Amino acid sequence: MNNTWAKRNTGLLFITPWLIGFLIFKAYPFASSLYFSFTDYNLFKGISTYGFMNYINVFTDSKTLKAMGVTFRFAFMEVPLKLVISLLIAYILNFKIKGVNIFRTAYYVPSILGGSVAIAVLWKALFNNEGLVTRMLNTIGIQNTPKFLTDAGWALFILVLLRVWQFGSTMVIFLAALKGVPTELYESASLDGAGKWRQFFSITVPLITPVIFYNLITQLVQAFQEFNGPFIITNGGPRRATTLMSILIYNNAFKQWDMGLASAQAWVLFIILMIFTAIAFWSQNKWVYYSDEEAR
Amino acid sequence: MASQTKAAALEAARMHGEDPRVVRRRRIGIALRYLVLILVGIVMVYPLVWMVGASFKPNNEVFASLNIIPVHPTLDGYKSAMESYGGDINIWKSLLNTFRIVIPKVIFTIISSVITAYGFSRFKFKGRDILYAIMISTLFLPQVVLNVPQYMMYNKFGWVDSNLYLPLIIPSLFACDTYFVFMLVQFLHGVPKELEEASRIDGCNIIQTLVKVVVPMIMPSIVSCALFQFMWTSNDFMGPLLYVKTPSNYPATIFVKLSMDSEAGFSWNKVLATSLISMVPSIVLFFSAQNQFVEGISAGGVKG
Amino acid sequence: MNKKLLSITLAAAMTLSMGTMAFADEAEASYENCTLTFDWWGGDTRHQATQDAIAAFEEKYPGIEVQANYGAWDGWESAEALKFNSQKTADVTQINASWINAYDANGETFLDLNTVADTLDFSQWDEDILKMCEDPVGGLASVPVSLTGRVLYFDKTSFDEVGVEIPKTIQDLLDCGDAFGAYDDGYYPLVLGAYDRALFMTQYLSAKYSKPVYENGELMFTEEELQEGVEFIQSLVDHHVIPALDVLDGDGASSTDQNPKWTNGQYAGIYEWDSSFAKYAGALAEGREFVVGDELEEMKAGTFYKVTLSFAISAQSEHPHEAALLINYLLNDPEGIKIMAAERGIPASAIAYETLSEAGLFDEATMEAHTKIFDVATYFLDTAFFDDATLKDVAEGAFQDAFSGIDYGDYEISEAVEILFEALTAVTE
Repeated sequence: MNNTWAKRNTGLLFITPWLIGFLIFKAYPFASSLYFSFTDYNLFKGISTYGFMNYINVFTDSKTLKAMGVTFRFAFMEVPLKLVISLLIAYILNFKIKGVNIFRTAYYVPSILGGSVAIAVLWKALFNNEGLVTRMLNTIGIQNTPKFLTDAGWALFILVLLRVWQFGSTMVIFLAALKGVPTELYESASLDGAGKWRQFFSITVPLITPVIFYNLITQLVQAFQEFNGPFIITNGGPRRATTLMSILIYNNAFKQWDMGLASAQAWVLFIILMIFTAIAFWSQNKWVYYSDEEAR
Repeated sequence: MASQTKAAALEAARMHGEDPRVVRRRRIGIALRYLVLILVGIVMVYPLVWMVGASFKPNNEVFASLNIIPVHPTLDGYKSAMESYGGDINIWKSLLNTFRIVIPKVIFTIISSVITAYGFSRFKFKGRDILYAIMISTLFLPQVVLNVPQYMMYNKFGWVDSNLYLPLIIPSLFACDTYFVFMLVQFLHGVPKELEEASRIDGCNIIQTLVKVVVPMIMPSIVSCALFQFMWTSNDFMGPLLYVKTPSNYPATIFVKLSMDSEAGFSWNKVLATSLISMVPSIVLFFSAQNQFVEGISAGGVKG
Repeated sequence: MNKKLLSITLAAAMTLSMGTMAFADEAEASYENCTLTFDWWGGDTRHQATQDAIAAFEEKYPGIEVQANYGAWDGWESAEALKFNSQKTADVTQINASWINAYDANGETFLDLNTVADTLDFSQWDEDILKMCEDPVGGLASVPVSLTGRVLYFDKTSFDEVGVEIPKTIQDLLDCGDAFGAYDDGYYPLVLGAYDRALFMTQYLSAKYSKPVYENGELMFTEEELQEGVEFIQSLVDHHVIPALDVLDGDGASSTDQNPKWTNGQYAGIYEWDSSFAKYAGALAEGREFVVGDELEEMKAGTFYKVTLSFAISAQSEHPHEAALLINYLLNDPEGIKIMAAERGIPASAIAYETLSEAGLFDEATMEAHTKIFDVATYFLDTAFFDDATLKDVAEGAFQDAFSGIDYGDYEISEAVEILFEALTAVTE
């Protein structure tokens, strides 16, 4: 009996490390932050009251509301732009292109290095008032260049650009998916006389919708957590124009030590992200096409 | 739909004779493709190359022109990048600190992820599917939500600012970067089980089978995991920002941020030189294992 | 503090210096061998001086080993805060006055230094000054290393270029602004960040209404008075005296001494601590003449001072006596004093002041700035409130929000005043 029990549970034994890690490092903190979100826990002053005040604050405080808006704007500029560009480039690369490897490498490098602080530093050098981009625009005759990082209208967009510039890894994923589209489909389509663009929209896109969906979800999750760019390049400014929720949470938690408020803000952010993910999953029936039972 | 097929048929008829207009259009199309690729390529690469050039320029020349090649090349940027900053830390020491985090983390991640992935993909047990679903769902659990409570927990453990970087390293012992487990499970699905069964019949126990048969078979995937973990960990900024507080323990990411704060607008060549030095390990690794990176990321994405 | 107070302190120093020597000998007699930890932040010269002083201390007290932990300011406070929170406070810590309220509200983080009064010679400090370092429950949380206040400094080369005199009154300053603006739109006689503006405004209002910003834990300015202060700052912007904050942000420099416009004289003045001369002079292009200005005539009466830095001992320290020995050596022992010099500002300890004066170890310009401030300094700036992160923080603080809100066109003056008033009041609650 002992033997069969062991046999039946060997698998469980193998995943035990993960299970322990999950409970200690993910589940417990996750649950405890829900608890703290209903307190005024300050790391240095402890808890004095319980209640909904943090959540009320989230939905009434102008700083939080603004940060929420900025987060949305960031995500809804960055994700579509990045997906469209990476799909387009992947599509072009999928033709018989000479030197495809060189192009692929060139496009991929920024996304591999992109998360690093060094690249954020580079971005600051590029878009500074006296920076390289300004110099470039002046050279081609555009004077009165905007102050990219200190103009509230531009700063967020510059951070979006940094992320879009790192389209390499989504592109590589698209490229792999495009390679999987059977060439016979294209051949029959071009016999039918369908132009390249029509082929793209009527054959290619439907066939790779699962990958588009995958990229959409992962990019959305990432965009809602963007931290390095606004923290390093603009420090949330000018005038909070780049204070995303992640920055606000960081400031509340690790500068003001207001763990309760920060937890509540994190939870609201999490729930909003879940809603978007749920919408995406729910809508996939309508536009995501799975070729076989692989669909989960 | 009907009108669409009709139009398509008409166009097909027109194409039959290889109309010179069509040939020209195709040529233009090809030229356009290369044009787009090259333009985008310039946008991607020029900033990086400019950065290298600028780090060899004297300060007053950094933004003076768009040139990549310095007019008055100098090593001043690199010389001042060697200086220690505000205490017992300099760029080399910070790079060394980065390795003190990255190396154990990569090793621990690989070991724990392989074991977990093996458990999930090769054994049936009660609750497996639910646990697997939970594991996948943690991929969507934003780190932003976990930061605050994890910080409080590590603080209670006394791990914050530990000289051994415990909060950054210990979770990797428990396969906490589930992305890698997921990647390995996907890969294991594609590997036939016959060899494993054969080795069991030959009298190997489960552990021996895992080490001697499974691991060699999934080696390419393991290498991918190791590469990505190396890259992500050495680029990690938030983790050290929260958990490394002693200057002499700062990893390169924090050091670069500090040197930028104290010098930007003042000596850009130094800041850019410091940044470049900090990227050297990542760049070397990328160019020596480019294909693994590409394959790794495609594997995770396409099958997901 | 005024001239009279200063001279009394000096006189006290003279008479006490002999006594201190004997005092030190006595303490030397008994101590345990141990290892002390010592945390401070600062720049390279301060690190060097402090390390040298530690080496000398270890030689004088063989058996005591001091482990130094030091770094730059950036991120330092949160690192220290964390140590306080997790009971890992260093035996000796260099702190800001605002830390006492923030991290030692219950008096359990830092030792009540009255308990080491036999080792640490408090007679070197004026009692009023020591009071500034008391925690809310009445213990003495730290001893002040130095006092400081703010004064104007000018890049005289720019003033000569524009052809105006260094300002002595508010009217002069406004005229200078007009002249600078007429000379070149990118030139300003003064540059003030948000926190500098808050301080400048405070000094203006204190002079006008003869009261400090905070007294006995309460905000003294009314909303109407604050309105006047903000309008005063706005008049400086309107007269091209100081650049608007969006202009300053646009320079992309994290502080004025790193701003190329400071280096080349486009910004020709600062309002800074008495210890700032060397830092800003060093950042100027070669050949530019940098001078200490005067407190403006109408604002003299509002001149304030504060404790720059202080040293605290951990309440958990196993060797409070030895920790006190170290502090006493650094602040009150002529040997340590000379090594530390003025790296942490002009010392508040009477004997240190005396020793350094005699040895000619004060930088002339720093001394000039210090004297100009303390000749007229009247009000104590309660940094426990004024430097609270909710006010001072660059990203989230109310000073930044209010002043830059006006400059970016987000707020009317009245809205900015309301934000300031609420935030200034909230920290006292």
